[in-house]
Amino acid sequence: MLSDRQPRSFLEPQVLSRLAAVPLLARKAMIGGVSGRHTSPHRGSSVEFAEYRKYVPGDDLRRLDWRAFGRSDRYYIKEFEADTNLRCCLVLDTSGSMNFGSAGLTKIQYARRLCGTLGYLAGQQGDAVGISCVANGIVRSLPPRRSPAHLRMVLDILEEAEPQGETRLPEVLHELAETIRQRALVVIVSDLFVDPAALGSSFSHLRFRHHDIAVFHLLDPQEVAFNFSRPTRFLDMEGGSAIFADPSDIADRYHTALSGYLAAIKQVVLESGIDYQRAMTDESYEQVLARFLVGRAAGKGLR
Amino acid sequence: MTFLQPLILAALPLIGLPIIIHLINQRRFQTMQWAAMMFLVSAKALSRGYSRLRHWLIMMLRMLAVAAILLAASRPLSRGWLALAGGGRADTSIVILDRSPSMQQQDPTAEDSDSKLDTGRRQLIQSLATLATGRLVVLTDPKQKPFEVESPAVLADLAAPVASPTDVPLLLQSAYDYVRENSIGSTEIWLCSDQRHNDWNPESGEWAGMREAFAKLPQQVRFQLLSYSQTDPSNVAVRVTSARPHVHNGEIELLVTVVVSRQESSPQLTLPLRFEIGQAASTVDIQLDGKQAVLKDHPIALGRGDGPMGPGDHFRGWGRVSIPADANVADNDFFFVFDRPATRRTLIVAADGASRQVLSLVAHTPSSKDQACEVEVLVPEDLAAVAWDEVAIVIWQAPLPEGKTILLLEQFADRGGQLIFFPPEQPTEQSFAGVSWTNWTTHKEPLHVLTWRSDQDLLANTASGAALPIGELEVRRSCGLAGPYTPLASLPADATFLARATGQRGGVYFCTSTPSNRDSTLATEGIVLYALVQRAIDRGAEVIGKTRQVDADTLAAGFHSKDGQWTRLAGSSDALSTEMGLHAGVYQKGDRLVAINRPAAEDAASILADGRIDELFAGLSFSRISGRAGDDGSFVKEIWRMFLVAMLLALIGEAVLCLPKRSIPEPSLSSGMRSLEAVA
Repeated sequence: MLSDRQPRSFLEPQVLSRLAAVPLLARKAMIGGVSGRHTSPHRGSSVEFAEYRKYVPGDDLRRLDWRAFGRSDRYYIKEFEADTNLRCCLVLDTSGSMNFGSAGLTKIQYARRLCGTLGYLAGQQGDAVGISCVANGIVRSLPPRRSPAHLRMVLDILEEAEPQGETRLPEVLHELAETIRQRALVVIVSDLFVDPAALGSSFSHLRFRHHDIAVFHLLDPQEVAFNFSRPTRFLDMEGGSAIFADPSDIADRYHTALSGYLAAIKQVVLESGIDYQRAMTDESYEQVLARFLVGRAAGKGLR
Repeated sequence: MTFLQPLILAALPLIGLPIIIHLINQRRFQTMQWAAMMFLVSAKALSRGYSRLRHWLIMMLRMLAVAAILLAASRPLSRGWLALAGGGRADTSIVILDRSPSMQQQDPTAEDSDSKLDTGRRQLIQSLATLATGRLVVLTDPKQKPFEVESPAVLADLAAPVASPTDVPLLLQSAYDYVRENSIGSTEIWLCSDQRHNDWNPESGEWAGMREAFAKLPQQVRFQLLSYSQTDPSNVAVRVTSARPHVHNGEIELLVTVVVSRQESSPQLTLPLRFEIGQAASTVDIQLDGKQAVLKDHPIALGRGDGPMGPGDHFRGWGRVSIPADANVADNDFFFVFDRPATRRTLIVAADGASRQVLSLVAHTPSSKDQACEVEVLVPEDLAAVAWDEVAIVIWQAPLPEGKTILLLEQFADRGGQLIFFPPEQPTEQSFAGVSWTNWTTHKEPLHVLTWRSDQDLLANTASGAALPIGELEVRRSCGLAGPYTPLASLPADATFLARATGQRGGVYFCTSTPSNRDSTLATEGIVLYALVQRAIDRGAEVIGKTRQVDADTLAAGFHSKDGQWTRLAGSSDALSTEMGLHAGVYQKGDRLVAINRPAAEDAASILADGRIDELFAGLSFSRISGRAGDDGSFVKEIWRMFLVAMLLALIGEAVLCLPKRSIPEPSLSSGMRSLEAVA
């Protein structure tokens, strides 16, 4: 599929082959343009029986259940589930803070792997893949399409994405909620260093638009541990003012603030009903994705 | 505070070491790009006040620990909480000891405690040994030169208590002379005293000169007063005011008047007074209801046999009265001597006949029937042949003496004799004791005495407190006075009626009017003249006769001269022969007896206030250390342990503050807990 280009640094064939065994499924019914692996809110021609309904003039007589007519002397139409493809919108946070990394990989590199693998897997199963790089606005955007050429463009964008600027993720998500047509699987990959309440509002907006939301919350191990031994001048990667602090002095309060933030995120997740995945950048992204895909496979069938 | 190793204090700027280390540490910061700024901002905002306070406390405790270790290493000395004056070790220490009887007082609340003097000596020995002073000089008597001692321990054998008061200004003057003459370096003057008013004599003009002199010294002089000013109001002092033999029904008996006194007026107390005369002792109780009780003319039979001074002599002798031991043992005994009353011989030199007659009559009339008075009227030329040892008073109403007569009269006055001058009809320019007559002034209207000294001297109130009728006197004519004198009674328009010449050991008085009716009513209003003359005779009579009752240190230096003829009959055997005049006791030289006792002022516990003491040392480096009789240990102590403890406490406090607070666990982010389900 991508043979005409050199291998992407963030795509690993072995990982792709292993994860391909688990389908990427939507937790909600999707409205696609073609037949696919995802449930649709409409009736279709699959082999899976859906329901009977009374015949009304104009119905296709081929779908009339004659056996039921023979037993009840009434006309019933036999309906089947429709399978369709999904529109996978990857939302990649490219704010300055995504350039932080203490465990070998920066968050943006980790996010590239997640987005690239997910996009590839979605494309492989015939889903449309699009991408939006966001920071203090939508930096770059590509609407979901099904073609392999489009997937290549998505991967190009991923490769070219550079973390820069401050984060205005809630505002951007509100904008995306208004611009993404029809139902879609919105995969957000970000460190979520924003106000949890504002974030919850934007998630609710996306849900209102019937989107299936999945969030990969990226955290660096040093951001959690905060174990420095010397006074440090912290420079804001998003352009804010620097802060001078003795980490040994404020570590406890830092952890207090972090715990409070995570508790608020947890509350937002519970209220929004989103698919939340917290990922440490020192963790294998394959495991994160496997956990994500398996978790979604268990929830298949919702319409 | 004094330090034995003051050079170490030069390292005190090291107190700033924690600040410097802190600043260096701050300069060692690393710069880091950071993403999770929102948590840092929250962390900085949380508990900022407490965090800053904790930082300050930690810094202060670290500085305190450094300061404490430096101070401990410099071996600080404590001189009592009130003596925090700075200064290092002095080159010379001069010890001035107050040996007056009041320093014999013990701690009233403790049994068998040391006296103030012993306590002061002991504490001085320990403190000076701790201070390891360079040179130690002791000064106990202004009449003796200060002497250097090898070690403070010698003080234990020096400075026995005496019965005389301590002239503190004079001792300080001696210390000043020593410092100036020997050109010594920095000096510390240790003054051990109980701040008695009579010892310090704050009204003395010598204080101002002393302050100025010490202030001008090029070397540093510090004064350390070891004050033992606590008094015991219940302490009782005994004193004999008179002891005279008397013949009653053929028996010779001694009439003794004893006064016991204390500072408080209650409770009621019954004291046994023990009289010892020769080998005989008797006891009589005296009731002490208020502050003072008087046993008036208590008769003690002297017997018919051999007297204490020899066979058949019962009219002369000595004795002692004592009371039970109390807080101050120095005022529990009083020595007295007695003899037949000496003939009170008066010499009158009067040019005016009327005055001569009146004065003779007044001088010849004794105030007691036991007294024998004798009056001799002379002309100045006859004075050379007078036996001056038997004369109590000279009354002079003639031109002031000239030539050799002046020398005779001055010697008489120096011996304690009294002189009363009345103005001659023709005043001359001649002077006596620096005082001369000027001119007569005739007053149109008789003048009355406006003011007079009713508290002391010849015109003092009577023993019952009544004033003499001086205001009723009329002065029609008075003669002016010129020279240094102290007015005792004044007339209107700044005229003087009675004055005392200054600078004479005895009393030299000048009355500016005569007893003649032409000049005044001294003769017709005779009470004043009689009291004036008889009081002068009483004073003069004290120095004549074979027995004398004197205050300690009031006798001439000849008393403890090298001739060694005086022998001690009673009193402390510890007293050095050179200091006999300072110790209470009875002394004999030939057929003369002298009883030496503490002065009356020692019985009055008048303490000089601390503020007044500070004024006396104003402008000088002065500090006071308060102690009390019986205190243990030195008031100068090494207190480095206290600073070590302070350092330990500071370090413990710093460690407690630096302990990490109860750690808030990092958010658990194990891989199995990261899904939504795990969060939920």
